[in-house]
Amino acid sequence: MTGFNKRELLKAGVAGLAAGELFFGLSPLANGSITALAQSPKRGGAVRAVVHPEPSSLMLGLVQNTPTQMVAGSIYESLLKYGHDLKPIPSLAERWEISEDGKAYTFHLKRNVKWHDGKPFTADDVVFSTDVFLRELHPRWRPVATTHVERIEKLDDFTVRYQLKNPFGPFILMFELSTTPIVPRHLYAGTDYKTNPNNNTPIGTGPFKLAEWTRGSHIKLTRNPDYHVQGLPNLDEIYWQIIPDAAARVVAYETGAVDILTGGTVENFDVAKLAKMKNTAVTGKGWEMIAPLSWLWFNHRQGLMAKKSFRQAVMYGMDRDFAKDVIWNGLARLASGPVSSKTRFYSDKVAAYGFDPAKAKALLKESGYKGEPIRLLALPYGEAWTRWAEAVKQNLTDIGMNIQLVTTDVAGYGQRLSDWDFDLAFTWLSQFGDPALGVARTYVSSNIAKGSPWNNVAGYSNPEVDRLFAEAAAANGEAARQELYTKVQQILVEDLPVAWMLELEFPTIYRSNFNNLIKTATGMNDAFQDAWKA
Amino acid sequence: MNSFLRTFARNRGAVIGLCILVAVVAIAILAPLLYPGSPWRMVHRPFLAPFVLDRAPLGSDTVGRDILAGLVHGSRVSLLIGLVSTLVALLVGVPLGAISGYFGGWVDAALMRVTEFFQTIPSFALAIVIVSILQPSVGSIVLAIAIVSWPPVARLVRGEVLSVRTRDYVQAAIVTGQPVHKVILTEVLPNVVSPVIVLASLMTATAILLESSLSFLGLGDPNVMSWGYMVGSGRSRVLDQWWISFIPGTAIFVTVLALNLIGEGLNDAFNPSLRGRRT
Amino acid sequence: MTFALFLLRKALGAAVILIAIAALNFFLLRLAPGDPAQVMAGEAGAGDAVFLQQLRERFGLDRSLAEQFWLYIKGMLSLDLGFSYRQQRPVLDLILERLPATLLLTGTALIISLAAGVTLGVVAARRVGRASDSAIMTGSLVFYAMPLFWLAIIAQIVFSKYLGWLPNVGYESMGAGYTGARRTLDIGWHLIMPATTLGLFFTAVYARMMRSSMIEVSRFDYVKTAYAKGLTPGAVVRHHMVPNAILPVVTLAGLQAGQLVGGSLLVETVFAWPGIGRLLFDALLQRDYQVLLGVFFTCSAMVILFNILTDLMYRFVDPRIEAVS
Repeated sequence: MTGFNKRELLKAGVAGLAAGELFFGLSPLANGSITALAQSPKRGGAVRAVVHPEPSSLMLGLVQNTPTQMVAGSIYESLLKYGHDLKPIPSLAERWEISEDGKAYTFHLKRNVKWHDGKPFTADDVVFSTDVFLRELHPRWRPVATTHVERIEKLDDFTVRYQLKNPFGPFILMFELSTTPIVPRHLYAGTDYKTNPNNNTPIGTGPFKLAEWTRGSHIKLTRNPDYHVQGLPNLDEIYWQIIPDAAARVVAYETGAVDILTGGTVENFDVAKLAKMKNTAVTGKGWEMIAPLSWLWFNHRQGLMAKKSFRQAVMYGMDRDFAKDVIWNGLARLASGPVSSKTRFYSDKVAAYGFDPAKAKALLKESGYKGEPIRLLALPYGEAWTRWAEAVKQNLTDIGMNIQLVTTDVAGYGQRLSDWDFDLAFTWLSQFGDPALGVARTYVSSNIAKGSPWNNVAGYSNPEVDRLFAEAAAANGEAARQELYTKVQQILVEDLPVAWMLELEFPTIYRSNFNNLIKTATGMNDAFQDAWKA
Repeated sequence: MNSFLRTFARNRGAVIGLCILVAVVAIAILAPLLYPGSPWRMVHRPFLAPFVLDRAPLGSDTVGRDILAGLVHGSRVSLLIGLVSTLVALLVGVPLGAISGYFGGWVDAALMRVTEFFQTIPSFALAIVIVSILQPSVGSIVLAIAIVSWPPVARLVRGEVLSVRTRDYVQAAIVTGQPVHKVILTEVLPNVVSPVIVLASLMTATAILLESSLSFLGLGDPNVMSWGYMVGSGRSRVLDQWWISFIPGTAIFVTVLALNLIGEGLNDAFNPSLRGRRT
Repeated sequence: MTFALFLLRKALGAAVILIAIAALNFFLLRLAPGDPAQVMAGEAGAGDAVFLQQLRERFGLDRSLAEQFWLYIKGMLSLDLGFSYRQQRPVLDLILERLPATLLLTGTALIISLAAGVTLGVVAARRVGRASDSAIMTGSLVFYAMPLFWLAIIAQIVFSKYLGWLPNVGYESMGAGYTGARRTLDIGWHLIMPATTLGLFFTAVYARMMRSSMIEVSRFDYVKTAYAKGLTPGAVVRHHMVPNAILPVVTLAGLQAGQLVGGSLLVETVFAWPGIGRLLFDALLQRDYQVLLGVFFTCSAMVILFNILTDLMYRFVDPRIEAVS
């Protein structure tokens, strides 16, 4: 190893990247394996990353939007992390056991962990966080805790056990940072959580502490010298910069004002250009837990949309390859059905739908469509989504549909979906690693209720699908679950309750002198624990 | 009238402005003939540069739509929004200003408070709120622009009416017992037409700019092609495919400039005295 | 009318207008589709009925509209602009922390546009009818006719990307650790591009106004007298014409303060300048009513204050105005 210095290796890596095609996730610089071999990590330095939009709060127990997760992910920790394959990795828990019957989860906590204010971290904090604080406030933890958890108990100061009512396969995925962030009991017990003044000065156990937050400008985090992993973190400071305009973010990276463009902060058509810059690496990794899957909602309550031939016409009429190649610049994959290929229990043994305008026209005729105006609700998440809505409108116009595009802001969009005030609507939702967590919610009929845009807003109802999802969630053992999920995927793809579009990628762009950045399935949310700057 | 035309014609800028405006209006009228298809159709390879392909003389945008087609069709919407919103603003501002100036007293005080009130609210912020509340559409955009742009009209008309009202022929009309609305319509308003025309030409320009700013923030009508939309949708590409937003941006710029030049020419022609020491 | 009476009348008028603005905005904003609770729940990635109800209670959305309004006005009278549950902080704090940035930006832009506008106007007025006059007037129109956001983007590309002279985002260098004078310089360096972009837009307006005002003033007797006394043209312009001709320009600047704030919204967006314009737009997208109302209120108060200041300046420069008002 002595003959090689790191600079040369880096150069070689950059040259390779520039010369050949860009392979996401395969670039040697992206996964850090080569550079990690080259030299041991260096201490010190600052990193400047972009977060957009500005987080509303950094108290991860109260607010779990993506920007908050990214910034607060260095402040708070949970019991586990997950590798790119969604396998658990120790975090605050150093080891754990799952009982034979799949109903008891025992976690052994790390000792010598301190909160940022110096108080010791114990099992009491874990019990308080998951049994009291998050059970009351967390929209994803509460339903699971209520439905599946019988009791949460402290066995000793450093051991906690979750006793379930029934086996629940995805339970091991619930200890991800944004689902169960551990909050300090000594600051929150007995207070009004939402107005607790500590919400503005978050205290966690993570590798970095909040130093200053100049709203509208930046959030500065500094190294936690008492972090529980010896010698870490390597970096001294993190600056999260707030830059509202996407084009300005690109220029900021090009002029060297920022080091990391987190996923989704630049338009995808800029990614290829930025990837060609010197000393730049790009990776699509770190989104395995979220695995963004996009689709078009059909409102099954509107006569036509209830007809399978109409839904099929839409599916055959959309040029998804065009969307993938032109609008997402190739950074996507055609979705084959309700489960992302990155998610557990994915199956590709399902019917396939290609781009076939002739067939679409015939199916449209068969459905009895007579030129009624159809409203297409666009997703207000940036340029690419607007262009996509325009392209789909044009595709569907070409097969003879009369499409009215509806644009609104995020608030208006959510309102229309939850009031069922749409005909067709774009969306993307998170898979959360397991069909029971992120897929079933879209299709089961018990989830049809006005007032939320993240349930079964299509109004699709199929008793067979309901039964299969329920059985699969409670089945003990991977094989049993896989069989049930394969079956439900086949039924859904045949039935086409929604029109699946693309599995999306939100690549992270960074200077390649930063190492060890993205090593987990939640990517930027826990990127800085052992990252280092060369 | 002849001297008016002559003064106007002597102003080179104003004549150039008028020529540009006539050309833009002609393009807008002829749009369906020049480009019969929808400007939204994705007919080319995306990011085609200008002058590369004969079929796409100005190139194509991010998803392969013809930029010239967009430009031609966009002129209709941009002009329409500019003209209609100005018209609506005049319909609100002129009567309010006339009534205020003619009657004076508490009527004037009350109406001017309302006008001041609207001038106090940051106009662009108010326009954003109105459009996002009503959902973006040509109608809501026109309404928002009209709501934020009538106060200067009211103030101008009030001022003019205040001075016109004291003149002898107006007083004579009042004394001979003509009904109020007739006095205002036949004796007072004709005298304020010229400054209002000048203001209207400038307002149309401002309205086109406002529409483009709204589109930039994602608050344009998604079903019609406007210049503002084109600039907004191409702005993130301005570093590499400059033409996508530069060409419609130039169209806005040139049209707005033309309207301003015309306004200025009109102003000079209506008020020869202001041209000052020209010999 | 005594000075105290004048101030009192202005202050009362301002108070009435501010309350009316609060009322209009309050009801206007609640007409908007979209529920702040849902926006927050959406960002959390999910939301069941319990969660949404919790959020609505936090926002006070479960109370009647009249009750919400009454609470708001009551708070406003004690300078309490409400609490942003979204950001977990009092609205007044949020605004006060952003206000300096906006004041710095708009103030600098105003100075730039007034200085450039007045200078250009004077120069043009002294050359009325000549080619240089038309060149100046048409030239200043160029920036007026450009969409402001477009000018901002082009400025970024030219001065940051290609020339590399000026930073394109933010108000200071991150991680540089400057203090004292070095930091002031750094902020100034970041300020140049946004302030100039915003200022250029208004330059044309002031240049025009100044030019015609100068022409107007030149016809007054005292100017003729000054010439007759044998003063040089330069001295006449400096001491007799400009001080008088500048008054309508200042009035116009006062009237346009609202536009300046609106323009700063676009400039703040493109240059990532942490001011209240940006705060307003974010609050609108998130239906953070309390913040939105607070910012509207602050902007309107700024415009009113600016108008009162111009009135005062008038009285100071030209006591005859009193008789007219």
